[in-house]
Amino acid sequence: MITVTGVGVAMPGADSAAALATARNPEGTVEPAAVLGKKGLRYKDRATQLGLCAAQRVLTDAGLLRDGEPTVDGSRTAVLVSSNLGNVDTVCRVTRTIAEEGTHGVSPMDTPNASSNIIASEIAIRFGLKGPNLTLCNGPASGLDAVRWGAALLRSDRADHVVVVGVEPDNEIVRGLVGGPVVDGGAALVLERAEAAEARGATVRAVVGAHTRGPDVAGNIAELAETEPEPPAAWFAPAAAAPALPAGRPGRDLTATWGELSGALGVVQCAAAIGALDAGADGPVWLVAGTDTDDGVATLVLRRPTPAAAEPALR
Amino acid sequence: MRLPITGIGAVASIGRDVDEVFGSLCAGRGGLGPMRGFDHELYNGRQLFEIDDRSEPGADRTLRATGFLLDAVGQAAADAGLGDDLSGIPVLVGTGLRELRSAELWWRDGAPFGADRLHFGTALRERFGTADTLTVSNACSASLYTLALGADMLALGEADTVVVAGVDAITESMHGLADRVQPDPPTALRTLDVNRKGTILGDGAAAVVLRREDLRWPGGRLWGRLRGVGMTCDAKHPTAPDREQVAEAMRQAHRHAGTRPGDIDMVMLHGTGTPLNDLVEITAYGEVFGDAAGGPVVTGIKPMTGHTSGSAGLLSLVVTLQTMATGKVPPLVNLDDPIEEAAGIRLVRGQEAKHEVSLAQVHGFGFGGINAVAIVEGA
Repeated sequence: MITVTGVGVAMPGADSAAALATARNPEGTVEPAAVLGKKGLRYKDRATQLGLCAAQRVLTDAGLLRDGEPTVDGSRTAVLVSSNLGNVDTVCRVTRTIAEEGTHGVSPMDTPNASSNIIASEIAIRFGLKGPNLTLCNGPASGLDAVRWGAALLRSDRADHVVVVGVEPDNEIVRGLVGGPVVDGGAALVLERAEAAEARGATVRAVVGAHTRGPDVAGNIAELAETEPEPPAAWFAPAAAAPALPAGRPGRDLTATWGELSGALGVVQCAAAIGALDAGADGPVWLVAGTDTDDGVATLVLRRPTPAAAEPALR
Repeated sequence: MRLPITGIGAVASIGRDVDEVFGSLCAGRGGLGPMRGFDHELYNGRQLFEIDDRSEPGADRTLRATGFLLDAVGQAAADAGLGDDLSGIPVLVGTGLRELRSAELWWRDGAPFGADRLHFGTALRERFGTADTLTVSNACSASLYTLALGADMLALGEADTVVVAGVDAITESMHGLADRVQPDPPTALRTLDVNRKGTILGDGAAAVVLRREDLRWPGGRLWGRLRGVGMTCDAKHPTAPDREQVAEAMRQAHRHAGTRPGDIDMVMLHGTGTPLNDLVEITAYGEVFGDAAGGPVVTGIKPMTGHTSGSAGLLSLVVTLQTMATGKVPPLVNLDDPIEEAAGIRLVRGQEAKHEVSLAQVHGFGFGGINAVAIVEGA
């Protein structure tokens, strides 16, 4: 059994799962220097700074970081980042500079940021995490895909702890590419096997339930309904997916509040779901990322932790 | 773990399919040439290992990487007898640069392009009908990372068949940033040579079809079996490699495979030709192999393919499978004077070698200190 043992939120106007679940008109911006201190932020792109904020919060929340010091061996901690737009600004800006000035006009300080895995590698460096390090740039469903693959790393015994981060930056270039404002924030989770969580006395915030990925929303929901024992107490999904979800349950489209969430969506949904579970949602929360017009749809269920959830899975 | 590899595909500057690529490598024929898509006046380095598929020199277009990927996946699927319908089959793509070249052309020139094609799922769905795709942007070890994910998926019983692929088309931003710090750019890629001056980028794609080992034989050719993949992260520096975790990736691969360095017949190096990579890689190899370091033949393909970024690891693996099938080992061309640290190592130099290879080790290391090492055995 895979559990969520930490939640980190770095969203405009929301710095906790509780705030995320209830926010309707959030205001403000994420200030990385206020979270991380100014040291080491120079030359890091916005997406990387946002990712570091979410990572610091989630590691602290999970008890893997105490007073700035790691509490476990970093060689067994994996990092999985989901971001579609992270370094698009650097890449586009550098290309225009080359066209205008030749390559002597570009700054070598942009070199690390030209590689799309910069967020994941900077998180690894800052927190000493030497396990598998992956960056998913997988379109609208990317955030839920990251949770799925994080769980897979644990099931395959590739790691004991997985830090899953979803972030997207806002800037002129990505706005042009997606056709509107982007969230400029994100969220993070720590995933662990139930036994490992119990062994270190971690608080289980949610249990990872069924996952599906397929061509359309209705098919995914039907598959989910077959595998999940309980109907949802609540859901988070794109508005276009709402008609396919069980009627009469409270649900939200987070993009209506925060704008384009892109690769951050699934992870932010998980954080909001945990906010809803903490607030007393009476049953599992279903999550949907991607719609029928995208290349794929992913769904995921987060269940309320029960006393039994802390026990090793009985199969 | 012994996962059957039942189909392979590849595209590079030196060939449009696996046979052409392997033929060029064995003949010592490289793909370096005057760059065709970027303005020569803006660069010091004006040579790249490009796939020559543009209609005219200097006129670039969007979605070239997507085209390379579809070619390689189509080849591998056909080779494995899967045909063009991959619905329900996961396709896991490792890439360093995604479709960022298209984003560059969109921003600079106004070329039509949208966020739905930054990742490869959209094109893979259109062409092969699969909605279970993954684009992993893991720099230069990306396709060996996706190989590990695919292997894990099969081992967990989450799929019977997985297509693993790697692809990259050179971006101006990546080439330009390298060019910025190389006023005297390399004229050749010289892996392990004392006079190596750095890497040169290349276009490329590769794909393999992996199957669960406990299934009845499904058709397609048995090229070999994947034994294990190790993956680590340096957590030290965004661009410079670290010997400790490179070595750990090798050890981890052997632990997964249940093999020992002394069992290895051939090592396919990452071998980018940068001063630091080659030094770190060969010293890590020496550390892990110890007394066995003089056993395997050691080679690499980048002097002829260029550094094909995210596709590089899987391209090396596809070449390794062909070596196992033919007994021909492509040489490290341009290697005139090996570095001291490579003394006592059986480097394949000058021309192709004949060598029976039944177990091989393939390297892929990338920006961000992400390392992956695969161990594969012959059919």
